[in-house]
Amino acid sequence: MSVLIRAIKKHIKIEQIAVLTLLTVLVAAPIFQILSRSMYDGHSFDVMAPFRIILEGNLIKPIMNTLILGFCVVIGAGVVALPLAFITAKTEIGKHKWLDLVILVPFMTPPYIGSMAWILFLQPNGFFNQLLPKISGQEQLFFSFFGLVMIMSLHLFPFIYLIIKNALENISGNLDEAAVVHGASSTYKLIRITMPLLFSAFILGSLLVFVKAIGEFGTPVTFGRRIGFNVLTTEIHRYVSSWPISLSRATSLSYFLLFTCILIWCIQSIFSKKLSYQTVNGKGMARIKKSLSKPQKIISYFYIGLILTISVGIPYFSILATSLIKLRGYGLQKGNFTLEHYLTLFKTGSSSAEAFLTSLKIAILSASICVLIGILVALIVTNHSGKLSKLIDLLSLLPNSVPTIVLVIGLILFWNAKWHMIPIYNTFWMIVVTYVTFFIPYAVQYIKSALSQISKSLQSAGKICGGSSFYNFRKIMLPLMMPGIIAGWTMTFTIAFRELVGAIMILPPGMQTSSTYIFNQFEQGEASKGMAMAVVSVLITITILMLLNIFVDKRVNDGR
Amino acid sequence: MKRILSVLLAIVILSVGLTACAASENANNTALASQSASEAAPQSEIKPETQPETQPVPQSGKDEKSDKVVVYSAGPGGLSAGIAEAFEEETGIKVELLQATSGKILSKLEAEKENPVADVVVLATWSAAIGLKEAGMLQAYPEARNKEKLYPEFLDQDSQIFGYSASALGITYNTNLVKNPGKDWNDYTGADWTGKVSLPDPSLSGSCMDFISGYICNCGDEGWQFFNDLKSNEASVDGANKASLETVLTGSKSAVLMGVDYMAYSAKAKGEPVDIVYPTSGTVVNPRGAMILKSSQNVENARLFIDFLLSDKAQDLVKKAYIIPGRSDIKCDNRANMDEISLLKYDWPTMMSNQTQIIEKFASIFQ
Repeated sequence: MSVLIRAIKKHIKIEQIAVLTLLTVLVAAPIFQILSRSMYDGHSFDVMAPFRIILEGNLIKPIMNTLILGFCVVIGAGVVALPLAFITAKTEIGKHKWLDLVILVPFMTPPYIGSMAWILFLQPNGFFNQLLPKISGQEQLFFSFFGLVMIMSLHLFPFIYLIIKNALENISGNLDEAAVVHGASSTYKLIRITMPLLFSAFILGSLLVFVKAIGEFGTPVTFGRRIGFNVLTTEIHRYVSSWPISLSRATSLSYFLLFTCILIWCIQSIFSKKLSYQTVNGKGMARIKKSLSKPQKIISYFYIGLILTISVGIPYFSILATSLIKLRGYGLQKGNFTLEHYLTLFKTGSSSAEAFLTSLKIAILSASICVLIGILVALIVTNHSGKLSKLIDLLSLLPNSVPTIVLVIGLILFWNAKWHMIPIYNTFWMIVVTYVTFFIPYAVQYIKSALSQISKSLQSAGKICGGSSFYNFRKIMLPLMMPGIIAGWTMTFTIAFRELVGAIMILPPGMQTSSTYIFNQFEQGEASKGMAMAVVSVLITITILMLLNIFVDKRVNDGR
Repeated sequence: MKRILSVLLAIVILSVGLTACAASENANNTALASQSASEAAPQSEIKPETQPETQPVPQSGKDEKSDKVVVYSAGPGGLSAGIAEAFEEETGIKVELLQATSGKILSKLEAEKENPVADVVVLATWSAAIGLKEAGMLQAYPEARNKEKLYPEFLDQDSQIFGYSASALGITYNTNLVKNPGKDWNDYTGADWTGKVSLPDPSLSGSCMDFISGYICNCGDEGWQFFNDLKSNEASVDGANKASLETVLTGSKSAVLMGVDYMAYSAKAKGEPVDIVYPTSGTVVNPRGAMILKSSQNVENARLFIDFLLSDKAQDLVKKAYIIPGRSDIKCDNRANMDEISLLKYDWPTMMSNQTQIIEKFASIFQ
């Protein structure tokens, strides 16, 4: 017996079991509920039922649309993000720290608000026509597949941007210098050094964007439906929100997204094993911020300006204008502006202030928990090979592959089950659990990407010098992982602050978050008030992230 | 060795999960067995219960004297919150209110089915309410105060659904852009309206869905010609009711067909350049049903809430939200009353039986 225990101790680390159990409860169990629900049509079990539903339904077109959309959005987001990441990570322009925050703004905007803003701007008689009455016909260009890809790429590019930027910053300038010494041209340098080193980060980022794009609902439903572009999520949504409700149909359709995601994960894990390089190895890191010549500077600033104008400027012009307009029917006219919508938000005892607080609490809690889980998962996945850590890796990514509306149903089925022993359903903690489940993938991806670049020799060095493993972790690994941890926390916090679908379904009666408040204004109340709330939400998010940045910078400087 | 151990561990964890889930499925099965359903609806997972519950049976009356009631209510937001507040004031009973769209409420009810939470549900579409009734999820409340004052078609015969208010579907147009609005549906298929008409999306708006089935019920299959004509006249489907109205408010489109009327009235009252007409050939009036779930834990309070919905006070709040009061003795001066709106010939059972095909047909036209 003791031999067995020792064997277990030797081969299966206790932390692996702990994390696996945690992920089983958080992720596997709800997804299992979804899968079993699709085979259960009300009175009997039928293992083939979901496949029949997929085959019978007229789904070829939505499936093709989904894949094409995902693919195009990855390209679009990549095209926007890569040069941007290069500029801020490798040139002197990177000293402007605020850029990183502004670049995140599109991502802080709820997708349906972003699409609404674009529609309000470019529709016939929209803000664009009101500003430039002479030009017309822009709507034909915009209300098309191109417009859809553009909106979604502009919304999702921060994913790739952050991950690439972190990777770029970790590429030592020594490598570049070595190449230059050996007479490499800058193109050669880019192709043979920078690109291979970036590849695994790029794959991770694209994977996130692709999975996010095919699971996205907000933009397809506000914009895609107008141009008759149906994707799987809109089909799924139809089954869960209009009578007759059919959970089994909805869950069956989400199989496709689930399997696509697992497939991509497999491909990704093969690639990244072959193509990941450890760039953080403790040898002196020359972080060279290249100084630019004047024309280069102009081009760089122009590019940044262009991207920020279309990703932040235009949508926020619409959002701000709408939140300030008194009567929508009279548009941008003198005397038609008011601050009333903002004032009502801050009236004492109003539900909006309470909604802010709730959102804030949830976002901070769930981001912190996600990051903790993310650190554990990332450490296990990078330090242990073997089936178990593969499974942990996959589980930590899965929530991203199921549309939120389906995942949230799985969560309700699981946590509200009669036999469930943890009675948190319909309490505040249920929201936290839901959000943690939703957002584990983000935290894990960011921290994993940072960790995969840190050479193992650093830990060995720590051990040789007699540091305990905890000491080594605290003094060596943690500081090096910090940029990834911060990025993961930031993304999780941001997305949690604006999460909508999960919130609508899981909030206990009587509780509101700022996102459901905005949504209710759009559904039944005043769009202007909703837009005002959106503006305030983004301002709050930015403020918090700014404080975080200042705090971290200070800590880093103190440490030196 | 390592591999074996990993596999073992995985099996242990999976089996724990499986047994737990199997337990839940068992619970499901027994619950279903106790439901005396004889017909299985092939499309829906909810099984219709054939014999309606005529007697009010408080299922688990352990909590009769509780101090709260859980209400899931479809918008408009201000109205449900206002009613809840007034109810709390009058009775001292705490209302735990969940505001969402009818669709979200339905899927939440379905997901919570094993362990329901809500006491009272208010839906914006009559067909969904009937659906819940047929699924056997409701209990009757024949003693509801003032129920005899409701319009007869606003009350189901078993006293399970109380149409305490209603909205009618009309044609909302932008008065800056339109001087002569078309009087009837078919006027909008003409050349004057090419590219200027917006429609709510029936997969997001239950009331629009009900209108389309009502229209088809009235006209038969020839009714589809109208929708085909709209499509070839470049009408666009622009999201839920509010989103569709937005396109007209902002002047991107000139008119919304099949949009709910109260949103138009309240926009007009604010001073927006919109107005509404009811088509001469008739429309669909959609009662907003309030109902008590059979699984309610706070039956007494739920009944008080229904009584309150039918009281003068709540009906007055309804009126102020530009919604048709459910009681026929209350008249509005800020909007069209029931007798001023002509109706299509439709009946709910026929509409409901065809709804799935209709929504798919509509989707295929507007793809």
